[in-house]
Amino acid sequence: MKKLLAIVLVLALAMSLMSGCSKKDDGKITIGIGQFAEHPSLDNCREGFLAGLAEAGYKEGDNLEVLYENAQADGGTATQIANNFVAKKVDMICAIATPMAQSAFGAAKDTDIPVIYTAITDPVAAELAKDDKTPNGNVTGTSDKLPVESQLEMIRKILPNAKTIGIMYSTSEVNSVSAIEEYKAAAADYGFEIVESGIATAADIPLAADNLLEKVDCINNLTDNTVVSSLPIILEKAAAKNIPVFGSEVEQVKIGCLAAVGLDYYDLGKQTGAMAAQVLKGEKKASEMNFQIIDQAAFYGNSAVAKNLGITLPDDLVSSAKEMFDTIAEQ
Amino acid sequence: MLTILLGVLEEGLVYAIMALGVYITYKILDFPDLSVDGTFPLGGAVTVVLIIAGVNPILTLFISFFVGAFAGILTGLIHVKLKVRDLLSGIIMMTALYSLNLRIAGKANVPIFTKDTIFENAFLDNLVPEALKPYLVSIILLIIVIIMKVLLDQYLKTKSGYLLRAVGDNDTLVTSLAKDKGIVKIVGLAIANAFVALAGSIYTQKSGFFEISTGTGTIVIGLASVIIGTNLFAKRPYFKVGKIFKNIFKKNYYFKATTAVIFGSILYKACVALAIAAGMAASDLKLITAVLFLIILIISNDRKRRVKAND
Repeated sequence: MKKLLAIVLVLALAMSLMSGCSKKDDGKITIGIGQFAEHPSLDNCREGFLAGLAEAGYKEGDNLEVLYENAQADGGTATQIANNFVAKKVDMICAIATPMAQSAFGAAKDTDIPVIYTAITDPVAAELAKDDKTPNGNVTGTSDKLPVESQLEMIRKILPNAKTIGIMYSTSEVNSVSAIEEYKAAAADYGFEIVESGIATAADIPLAADNLLEKVDCINNLTDNTVVSSLPIILEKAAAKNIPVFGSEVEQVKIGCLAAVGLDYYDLGKQTGAMAAQVLKGEKKASEMNFQIIDQAAFYGNSAVAKNLGITLPDDLVSSAKEMFDTIAEQ
Repeated sequence: MLTILLGVLEEGLVYAIMALGVYITYKILDFPDLSVDGTFPLGGAVTVVLIIAGVNPILTLFISFFVGAFAGILTGLIHVKLKVRDLLSGIIMMTALYSLNLRIAGKANVPIFTKDTIFENAFLDNLVPEALKPYLVSIILLIIVIIMKVLLDQYLKTKSGYLLRAVGDNDTLVTSLAKDKGIVKIVGLAIANAFVALAGSIYTQKSGFFEISTGTGTIVIGLASVIIGTNLFAKRPYFKVGKIFKNIFKKNYYFKATTAVIFGSILYKACVALAIAAGMAASDLKLITAVLFLIILIISNDRKRRVKAND
């Protein structure tokens, strides 16, 4: 009985491995989208990417098949996903966020599957591109460099008397570490002092938030996957102490951040989709396209939050805002 | 098809070295060593720092091995000298190593795509013919795994290796032989963690970058490989692999435990690849691992019960 079970298992294993390799040839393009973590900014990226592709003629369901996998912020899973896409011989891999892009690049290196990345703060530091922005292989995409100076300028306009800005970040995210350095370098120009608080996991956030809120006049957010995923806790604690929290992106302002000079990740995704379409159509190769940086940052504000804090948002910012929110959305 | 099989083989072989380390602590020493979650990325962190500094990639393998041994010694010291329980000493080291690994690597993500590694360097480019290139990684890994396995087998046959096995089964025997069982445990932990750090070094060189989160779950993969391997392939007459050989070579052939562990690692990775190919979400992998673990344990335990009933 045991032997029979063992033989059946081995046969099932062998058959399934074999079935995994046949590729349906029905003229559809298959794109594997690997997203590193699950939070609204990255989700917006993905949706923008699909929209960008649709605009260029690749509609999901018609001539496009999309395989979407989320690594849930686990490095090992990201590599697994990338290897799986390569084994399935997809026509292109779209990687969202740095660890996913690196796994995809490593997996697709010896194949001719192009990798398009998005939501990567520093492709040069991630060794996906060389110092002169040319690709390090069949890989290209878009970069979401944080508009640090614009953010500091905005905070100074909204809080003319604030002295300290607290920034919480995850020590396991290299994009956050480099952003903190940029903030520290630029803060003095606007009369601010940056107080940083590094956490290792999401579980550390509540205590770290309590600690940070004691020392600062306001809190600022980076595009840190771990911290942003736990933003509601930070917002709750900050609201209790009447301390404003500034965001880095529109989704954060929706759920309770006072304001943000942020990128529109949907647009970022769309731009990436356009680049991907160029590669798919054969107009250009990924190895020939330099990565593109999005720096069209726009102001977003939340008047409901401003009212709760007793702060008036300056008129010039409000009138130039891309979008103003007057409610605090439930996450 | 070939790509999938090669991928499974490559992943399985890298983790097989780690599984050999877990085999030493879990099966031989009977010490559940959770510090491997920290030692695996330790090998990686040390490797990227050295490779960026221009050190020969093969040398980094040796250095990672010894750094891992050092970490294992620390775990051992905490357990033996400070009298902390086995499970907890591993957890303490694992937690400490998270911060240490970040310090060593400098940041949480360090790419080495543009640098030479044991899999990609000028020497190999000149030596290896085009036809062999897709298999290159597997061949290199196979060589390393076989070397490590043979070394381990030879070590276990020595007096020191015998003491290692004794301390896991019946540590009074060790004391009665006038040997310090604490030192033996420390040696065992050192060797095991050395293997794990070596695996971490190889994994990082294969991936092309160091990422702080790749250590999480190492102990689970290691245990799964060890348990699957030893229960399905090792000296257990009920699994009739031996019988096939018996019919061909007219003598009983059983797999050594170390070989079994290597097969276990490859088989575990095959199951994971199978699950993904079947369409399961990557985030369900841990569930699959748990179910697989359970099935294998049930199959082996079942047999034990049967034997008892026949007495």
